[in-house]
Amino acid sequence: MIDAGVLNEIGVIVGAQHLLTSPEELVLYGYDATPAVDVVRPDAVVHAGSAEEIAEIVRLANRTPFYVIPRGAGTGLTGGARPIRGGVVISTQRMNRILRIDADNLQAVVQPGVVTDQLDKQARAQGLFYAPDPQSMATCSIGGNLAENAGGPHAVKYGVTRQSVLALQAVLPEGQLVRLGARTLKSVAGYDLLSLLLGSEGTLGVITEATLRLLPLPEARRTLLASFAEVEEAAAAVGATFRAGVLPAAIEFMDGNAIRCVEDYEGSSLTGLVREAGAVLIIELDGGAGDVERTGAIVERVMREGKAKGVKLAKTEEEAEGLWSARRAVGPALAKIAPLKVNEDIVVPLSGLPRAVAGIHSIGAEQDIKCAIFGHAGDGNLHVNFLADPQNSDEVRRVERAVDEMFALVISLGGSITGEHGVGTTKQKYLSLELSEESMDAMRAIKAALDPRGIMNPAKIFPERAEDGA
Amino acid sequence: MAPDKKIPPAGRKTVDPDDKRLKAEIDRCVRCGACMAKCPVYFATQREGGVARGKIALTRADEIGRLEGGKTFQFHLSACLLCGSCMAVCPNQVDTPLIVQAERAKLAKAKRTGRLKSFVLRKILPSRRVLPRLLTGARFTRALWAAKVPGDSGLHIRFLRGPKGERHRIPKITKPFFIKRAKKETEGSKAADVALFAGCVSNYLRPQAAEAAVSGLTRLGASVTVPTDQSCCGLPAFGAGETRAARKLAIRNLDAFLPVDGPWPTYITSPCASCAYMLSKHMVELLSDDADTARRAREFERRVVPFSSLWLKLQEDRGLPGSGGEKSGPLLTYHDPCHLKKGLSESDAPRKLLTSLPNARFVEMSDADDCCGQGGSFCISHYDLSVAIAKRKVEGVLNSGADVLVTECSGCLLQLAEALNSQKPGIEVILTSEALLRFGRTDSGAGPGSDTG
Repeated sequence: MIDAGVLNEIGVIVGAQHLLTSPEELVLYGYDATPAVDVVRPDAVVHAGSAEEIAEIVRLANRTPFYVIPRGAGTGLTGGARPIRGGVVISTQRMNRILRIDADNLQAVVQPGVVTDQLDKQARAQGLFYAPDPQSMATCSIGGNLAENAGGPHAVKYGVTRQSVLALQAVLPEGQLVRLGARTLKSVAGYDLLSLLLGSEGTLGVITEATLRLLPLPEARRTLLASFAEVEEAAAAVGATFRAGVLPAAIEFMDGNAIRCVEDYEGSSLTGLVREAGAVLIIELDGGAGDVERTGAIVERVMREGKAKGVKLAKTEEEAEGLWSARRAVGPALAKIAPLKVNEDIVVPLSGLPRAVAGIHSIGAEQDIKCAIFGHAGDGNLHVNFLADPQNSDEVRRVERAVDEMFALVISLGGSITGEHGVGTTKQKYLSLELSEESMDAMRAIKAALDPRGIMNPAKIFPERAEDGA
Repeated sequence: MAPDKKIPPAGRKTVDPDDKRLKAEIDRCVRCGACMAKCPVYFATQREGGVARGKIALTRADEIGRLEGGKTFQFHLSACLLCGSCMAVCPNQVDTPLIVQAERAKLAKAKRTGRLKSFVLRKILPSRRVLPRLLTGARFTRALWAAKVPGDSGLHIRFLRGPKGERHRIPKITKPFFIKRAKKETEGSKAADVALFAGCVSNYLRPQAAEAAVSGLTRLGASVTVPTDQSCCGLPAFGAGETRAARKLAIRNLDAFLPVDGPWPTYITSPCASCAYMLSKHMVELLSDDADTARRAREFERRVVPFSSLWLKLQEDRGLPGSGGEKSGPLLTYHDPCHLKKGLSESDAPRKLLTSLPNARFVEMSDADDCCGQGGSFCISHYDLSVAIAKRKVEGVLNSGADVLVTECSGCLLQLAEALNSQKPGIEVILTSEALLRFGRTDSGAGPGSDTG
């Protein structure tokens, strides 16, 4: 509980109308998009209007003390914005202005509450685009993207969010308002604190402004669909594409279960997929009109050499969009057929992809759990979904075993337990599979140095140790 | 003529708050937040309580017993346009309008609806005598304005004062009311093909919309009647959770259009898509008390067809060609009413018709299906929000460069006319029925693609 006097002070800082304390409002900011977790109510919610307000609240939090939990649009999938120890949720949704699109310098300056898609739209109006394209880009905010270092299908060519960030303004955990990075592509002045904040899941600061890199919009785009009888063949064709000298803008993968789910969900005539296929790849090429023509032919040949049963080129923008909407429908389609969908976003080096896919399928078969795999195969990032009925406790246990085995497999292949969703609260128990105690201790030391009172987004990322207390 | 398969079927829904369907609907929300991409209230507030995911979270919060009496709960429940935009982008198609209406009905039962609104909805609205007696000739004050419109009209919910006394621009009342005049015009006709439901706006404020509907459909070869005992469609009351008031109106409309001893029209249509939505989606659930009434209600719903869908069908039935070639005349754009696009799944017919008009040009505006923010009583109870949503909406109209904005819902029409008037007077807002008649071919006058045969 935070006492009334302190709440009053917060109200003075942000304006009373932007401080929410009613039980209903506390419920409303007690969740994000993380599936199957409880609502945990904060003590208060503020809709901050400026970096200075946030800095003042954070300083007050250190003096009092109380926890602060930064929050974007609440679309995270691992619980990063859940106020699990209570405290004050600081929402940046009100700070949603695109301050500048600087076409000359290929950059945009935005507030953290800007919705990713809105930035991209504004950039496109000037012949530019913002490359990171997380699945939820129609609703998620830049602040959250930065804090989670979000990815997306086009990461294979354009990188994850980190590769599109030039500079940040942020409030550090003791309330210091700092600027990190520079408005240039290159800068090696001092430690790379900017990168430290990206993907820190709101534990090392609240991002209050970002200078983001924009790119010239490619002239042409071409989308192909390749279907394979076997999943391993599809996975192997991914690496073969790169070895043939082609860097696609995206290579998306769907296994047979994912395909059939989407077909049932969308109505099969619409998707343009091949129902009987063991797996498909959706490959997008972009560049000059001549380039996509040429690389399209190479990719088609590589797919056929990789035993593709069929390769189809989308002839129109509508056909291409149809393939992409089929890909986007996988998540919802799976959610519809299984009440409990354990979605893990593992990532492996490209050469490990065939073994990862085959291995996960056999883990599913051993545990007798239906599983569907899809994702951004171009960068080795797969969304693995184990489907279960939450009422069936035996099935739920088998899913847990399957997840454990899958993570062990991923690590043995040199991969990572999370490609783009973050650790948050839902993957804490798996973090030690990937990071040694020494690595985690070094990270904890950084956290302690920047946030000595531990007020910022507590109990996230690192598994709880006995001496941490609560 | 027989009802056509292409015309959207009436949906089966219920608003019984205890229904399992309600719980199932609530449970299907996975809190992904996709609704944030399209919710007009969220656009205006940027708050979790505005959007479907948040409203649903409130309905299922453990503290529900405590929360539901609370002011904040009531506020968030009332701050919903029931536009269905969330449902259209929801991966699980969670029916948030159903959930919100059911929760509102719970509150209404517990008498937590605002006192004034409740009084209008429960007492004045279903009564046909109270307000006509107050009729005077003036429209200097709101009270006098209100007095000109009979008490059973949903207009009273639309044009009440806002909580801080804010005023909506009050449209001019036109007398005599359309339905009274229509009686004479259609008297003697055998009346079988189409029965026209005027709706309150067409009846009291904008008779030209209903007149255009009658003329247009007649010229397309249909016999058109205007049943004189029709009332308000009941949507404003229904949306507010005042199910009993909505029921009274539904019975009256059922008897007016499908009298027990016949004859029954083949189609029922309305120049206003929100009326059509109410009449084709909620009659059965309101009137399921006895088998005969329920059967008639089903027949009623089955016959309701959105105006532009019907026009297009009649035109195609007669084999009338679409008009091609050179076009001239004013530039039109079209706003999708939520009740038509999201409620009745119709967005093609109005566009097909408008783009084929010989005496007007057409341009698509951006975000044509974004909600206008009117939402029945929403524009009164949440005046500021409603204005903010409309302001965002009309940017698309202004950017399109259109001279005339066409829509097919009288609520949208009033809202957008007011918003446009405050930003850029001179852009006219009309209903589809008016546009089709005004910009259709004038030689035989039967609208787009008419021939002389």
